[in-house]
Amino acid sequence: MDKNILSFNSVSFKYPDFTLQDINFNIQEGKIFGIAGESGSGKTTILKLASGFLKPSSGEIKTNSKKKFGIQVLFQNSSEIINPYRKIKDILYEAYNLHHKNFKNIDDEVNVILELVNFNPGLLESRGSQLSGGEQQRAALARILAVEPELLILDEPFSAQDYKSQLNFINIIKQLNKGKEISILCISHSLSSLVEFADEVIILYKGKIIEMAEAKKLEHFYSNFLLEAEKYNLTKKEIEECLKQM
Amino acid sequence: MLQVEINRISLKKDNSEEVLLKDVDFSLNENEVLCILGENGSGKSTLIKSLVRLLDDNDYKVEGSIKINGKEILTANEDELLEIRKKYFGYVFQDVQNTFDPLKKLEYYFKKYLNSKEIKELFNYFLLDDVNVIIKKHPYELSGGMLQRLSLIFTLLRNPDIIILDEPTSNVDYPISNLILLKIKEFAEQKNKSVLIVTQDLEFAKKFERVLLIKNKTINWINSQLINEKILSNG
Repeated sequence: MDKNILSFNSVSFKYPDFTLQDINFNIQEGKIFGIAGESGSGKTTILKLASGFLKPSSGEIKTNSKKKFGIQVLFQNSSEIINPYRKIKDILYEAYNLHHKNFKNIDDEVNVILELVNFNPGLLESRGSQLSGGEQQRAALARILAVEPELLILDEPFSAQDYKSQLNFINIIKQLNKGKEISILCISHSLSSLVEFADEVIILYKGKIIEMAEAKKLEHFYSNFLLEAEKYNLTKKEIEECLKQM
Repeated sequence: MLQVEINRISLKKDNSEEVLLKDVDFSLNENEVLCILGENGSGKSTLIKSLVRLLDDNDYKVEGSIKINGKEILTANEDELLEIRKKYFGYVFQDVQNTFDPLKKLEYYFKKYLNSKEIKELFNYFLLDDVNVIIKKHPYELSGGMLQRLSLIFTLLRNPDIIILDEPTSNVDYPISNLILLKIKEFAEQKNKSVLIVTQDLEFAKKFERVLLIKNKTINWINSQLINEKILSNG
């Protein structure tokens, strides 16, 4: 039987004005799992629960990660994930020196990772603030990979990117998943991006799971509504009617 | 009758003489939405800022001519410039968190319109809660998605001849983006107005008839039906 790297069993979490209700899902080792939904649907609460920043009000979260730093999060706000004053080289070498004491040649190790995340080695001497959003994001990813995570959680990785950078980033994620066997949990408001690379997705609406399915086999009218919305095909009436039914 | 002519403008970083954009040439017409499409860093936001002279004169040099009803914007003095902006333009910035004064409640901006039917219709249309509750809040109490809608609503209420929108869909969910698209088109077509949008959202740009693409420091008309992911790549 396949092993699950992360399981949510009947997980609920209550804020004063919002409740995440009865969330059940399993992320199998080696899979890419997507969570989609609009603002306020509970995506970020699930991220915080999965990464241990919040404890569930009820239910159980289990992980099979055996390592101390097995679960890592790539946060959304690219300008806050890299120290703006430090050189990228220092940021990366610090992490790799800490976690790879046995390696003789850190340079080789870092170069392999830089190629994997498509980061131009010419930028190593730059400081955090001198990089574009996408470059900062990839530098942060390279730093996370120093600890060789088993589960990588991505928080809205496409939010500030144009189409080309998105495709580029999706390819990097696919390579990390296949090549490094890292399981992925990706949270995004863009369902169509998730459908392109996730094995399985769940769709949230106001704290509840509306649909859980293989990425290419979504059937619920709300899932289709979100996909049509991304193509700007909806009329005012269609939006009203869909939201009325929810 | 509104006439806006942008004639061969070029943008330069002043110190470096580095050209950011050259030979930008287009006009804005009534009843029409003009969409400018380009990647991150292509100069889209800089271009639309230059049209109403929001760029710092010490950092940027703008050459060419921008005329609104015959009046040249690039050589207008401070008073004339303020008058032009006030009279003709509404600008919805991308950075919605810094659009409204953080020390003032939203009612500072909306109180003038509170008795109008339109404000309730717009709040309702953009799926926002009760006007009277929202306007009692400070900007920091609201999400980026709400502020983006409020900034657009405020601009629509002002009813200017030209609305400039910088990435109007960047902070909101897609269903709301659809509502924004429909409302912008309605504003231009039904009220005889002119709208200028910059975006990097390909699917959004496809929905307009007039689309300009910024690529390789120049700007060119493209057929919006042929927009695809390859169109942005260099070379």
